[in-house]
Amino acid sequence: MKKRPKEIVQKPLKMITIQLNGESESLPEDSTIIDLLTRIGSDGKTVATLVNDQVVRPPERTAHALCEGDRVEILVFAGGG
Amino acid sequence: MDHLQLAAHTFSSRLILGTGKFSSAAVMLEAVKASGAQLVTVALRRFNREQLEDDLFGPLSELPGITLMPNTSGASTAAEAIKAANISRELSGSPFIKVEIHPNPQHLMPDPIETMEAARVLASEGFLVMPYISPDPVLAKRLEEVGCASVMPLGSAIGSGQGLASAAMLSIIIRESSIPVIVDAGLRAPSEAARAMEMGCSAVLVNSAIAASDNPAEMAAAFRDSTDAGRRAFKAGLMRESREAVATSPLTSFLGEQS
Repeated sequence: MKKRPKEIVQKPLKMITIQLNGESESLPEDSTIIDLLTRIGSDGKTVATLVNDQVVRPPERTAHALCEGDRVEILVFAGGG
Repeated sequence: MDHLQLAAHTFSSRLILGTGKFSSAAVMLEAVKASGAQLVTVALRRFNREQLEDDLFGPLSELPGITLMPNTSGASTAAEAIKAANISRELSGSPFIKVEIHPNPQHLMPDPIETMEAARVLASEGFLVMPYISPDPVLAKRLEEVGCASVMPLGSAIGSGQGLASAAMLSIIIRESSIPVIVDAGLRAPSEAARAMEMGCSAVLVNSAIAASDNPAEMAAAFRDSTDAGRRAFKAGLMRESREAVATSPLTSFLGEQS
């Protein structure tokens, strides 16, 4: 039987909605924390990241894919006394 | 050398700087440099993509010899403070945490019960706990007993500039305490920092007095000098106070005196 050539199918980009620092944010499905940081213009070096109240450490950010409804907090050190 | 000792950490500066309320990050950084401070406080806040300048971690970590002391401001319970402390340690790598729990934004007075609970938990988790407290000698002793690295009683209300309104209570805390006592909050003038140090405080924490000055870097330098002067005076030992005048010049053998 002749092998059918592999069809290149452009999957429609599915979006998810997360809560980022208390506000709704739409992201492409399978976005990771690193993708989110890139999107908001942070290199990630000076921020803490939490997903659903759990700290996600820098080495885990690349692999951590976000899901619909995730509550994400990105925190920095601001001025304070 | 006369150094500030906080657990195993040694600092030559006894002025701790708060980084809030400065007109810009650049102005704050100049003040930090001029102050000679080696410990500076920061507050954990949400990232704001419209205000990237809020993020002070990068610029502060480029200054040599600076250790961060994150605070738990914004927390109104022990649980919130503990959570903020853990996130802050994760981010900063610093063991220092200023436990600051004030439920009422009107007076910003620290909650002693929640502070005690947060301090107990955080000290047991290895944090160097620096609790911001009302000038209460009993609470200060209890915090010492659970392993705090210092106590930080207020001179007067945060940002009020009312100086050492709590001087009498501070004296008792200093006398009774075996850990460093750091006056935190309320100072307005460098002379007040000097007075706190003359009384025997181990350090002072200053923010508003410097940030709200017309020339923050110059005011930071003035606080650096006055903190140092007060410490030197304390170490030298102040003379005894007397109710009567005690002449400094001989009262006899004046010229023309009849013997």
